[in-house]
Amino acid sequence: MTNTENVVTTPTKEEVKALKPPKGVKQKGLKIPYERRKALYGYAFIALWLIGTIYFFILPLFESLIYSFNETHPQRGVMQLDWNGLGHYRDAFRKDQYYSQYLVEILGSTALKTPLIIIFSIFVAVILNQKFRGRTFARAVFFLPVIIATGPVIEIINGNMDTGGYSGGSEQFSTLFETDLVDQLLEFLGIYNISESLTNTITTVTSDIFNLVWNSGIQILLFLAALQNIPFSAKEAAQMEGATAWEYFWKITMPYISPMILASLVYTVIDSFVDPENKVMKLILTQGSDWNYGYMSAMAWAYFLIVGVALAIIVAIINKFVYYEVG
Amino acid sequence: MATKKEEKRFEKEMKAAKKAKIKAMKEAGISLNITPEQKRYNRQKAIVGAVWPIFRFFILFGLCFIILYPLIFMISTAFRPDAEMNDPSIVWIPKTLTLENVKQTWEVMKYGSTVLNTIKLNLVASVLQVITCAITGYGFARFNFKGKGLMFGLVVLMIIVPPQITTIPLYLQYSYFNPLGLVKLFTGDTVSLINSGLTMYLPALFANGLRAGLFILIFRQFFRGLPKELEDAAYLDGCGPLKTFIVVMVPNAASSFLTVFLFSVVWYWNDYYVSSSFFNQNDTVALMLKNLTTTLQVELFNNQTVGPRQMIVWLESGCILAITPILVMYVFLQKYFTEGIERSGLVG
Repeated sequence: MTNTENVVTTPTKEEVKALKPPKGVKQKGLKIPYERRKALYGYAFIALWLIGTIYFFILPLFESLIYSFNETHPQRGVMQLDWNGLGHYRDAFRKDQYYSQYLVEILGSTALKTPLIIIFSIFVAVILNQKFRGRTFARAVFFLPVIIATGPVIEIINGNMDTGGYSGGSEQFSTLFETDLVDQLLEFLGIYNISESLTNTITTVTSDIFNLVWNSGIQILLFLAALQNIPFSAKEAAQMEGATAWEYFWKITMPYISPMILASLVYTVIDSFVDPENKVMKLILTQGSDWNYGYMSAMAWAYFLIVGVALAIIVAIINKFVYYEVG
Repeated sequence: MATKKEEKRFEKEMKAAKKAKIKAMKEAGISLNITPEQKRYNRQKAIVGAVWPIFRFFILFGLCFIILYPLIFMISTAFRPDAEMNDPSIVWIPKTLTLENVKQTWEVMKYGSTVLNTIKLNLVASVLQVITCAITGYGFARFNFKGKGLMFGLVVLMIIVPPQITTIPLYLQYSYFNPLGLVKLFTGDTVSLINSGLTMYLPALFANGLRAGLFILIFRQFFRGLPKELEDAAYLDGCGPLKTFIVVMVPNAASSFLTVFLFSVVWYWNDYYVSSSFFNQNDTVALMLKNLTTTLQVELFNNQTVGPRQMIVWLESGCILAITPILVMYVFLQKYFTEGIERSGLVG
């Protein structure tokens, strides 16, 4: 039992004091009620994380919040601060010629990209969940982006194929996916000049298959896991009732994976906003390398708040449609 | 769990039994009893069953091609002499193969020592991170205490807040490292951790490493999914919570540990954000690759301009060098990446 004694001593003194039984009651062994003792163990288990979070996360976070209200002058060992109030925030939105514009762009592209990624990864996950020859290989290939895409490798690859590619290869590749198929299709159907923005939207979507596939690794993984958790009895019942594959997908598959849709939605949105390659992030990081920490923090905080609000709204809406199995 | 062999045999038997049944029904003349709806359903199913595999093959083939394209490009360009990049008659297969680019890139990246250094940083941080995140996740999963909701909110915040927000204050904290004035008390002055591996180890030790929030969440979900009776039995037998955790829970969570560990390794390997912020001499593979263009200019080309097309040869060699170790790991442990996560309890 030495272990337990060690653990009990870890919480702060005040907590232990508060939990001691009133004087006069002398009992051997169980001095602290069971529930409270368990609570103390709980604190002990998360203590390490809590210390770390306060030091490595909360403190720096507040520090940067303070920076955002100040002019910063880096000195040896300290950051000299001059109060500036909301000045940086005002500058970011009113004076900066790029900030608001990029912000709107990012919000727009994320709103466009996220549903696509979700739909695409559900589609692929359903396919990869079927039985066929070479499934292991196909799965391995589809998760490859998870391994590679988070690193600098993908940037170099993208850059090489965009700019310096030999005539033939890269262009061949980009035209392969960037042809103006939509326009041609619409013209073929006899539809001309429907609003420019609509065609633009559709074209950006079709031209971006490469990024779509490369950004869906984790989501496919999540959906595949969810698909494999669908109880066999549900499938059996559907077959007995003579459900077609289409009906099965909408009435069985969708409800069961809906919690995962929420999860991967959140993941996709965060991934897109936090990506150091996106324009706002680049803008923020440039300010950082120019030593404008106050301004940088203000930009980052404003960005972060907007993202947080957007995310909260999305989660609140989607959560209404999510089916949670009782049990 | 039935083995694959057994499953196959079972399927075969099912099919044979079905056939026999239908045959018997036809002989007995019962097939007339099938309603038109049932007939239509069966026909539809048969058609879909025949056509779908072909479609599926083309879809998968195309998508796999998109994913593998950069890798094929990498292999095709990395092993050709740079002069052949301008040869219009060469698209995929070079006329001569050479290892010269890889060798030169190897030297420029100081690959041997860089890889060893990266592996060291990576493994220590990942192991620490997995252990501490598991402990924290268990604390959140199985104990009730005041402020739990608030603290779990913190975990979620850790996932959402981009690390770029806290970099500058963290940099200051690391370069004049002095938590609670303790360091100054013992050494007389603050210590600079910049360039030291501690900037990775310390957060990992306190469950605050790369994407720690996500890992805590995974472990919490997993431990919540395990039956409570396991622990109750252990408590009755006189185990304390810590011993219960180590002896009973950890062995059950082995696959989840492995998954988190693998992801942690991959993310530390690919990370250049932390390393570029807190290191300026301590080289990791990702950092070297990120700076490859400049180092190549200085060290290999002596500041002469080299066309962007020729440059590709060396850059792609660098990519190959950078992803090979992680790719080898992936090939061997692929199963745990793709199957581990469903057992890790991220779902449900």
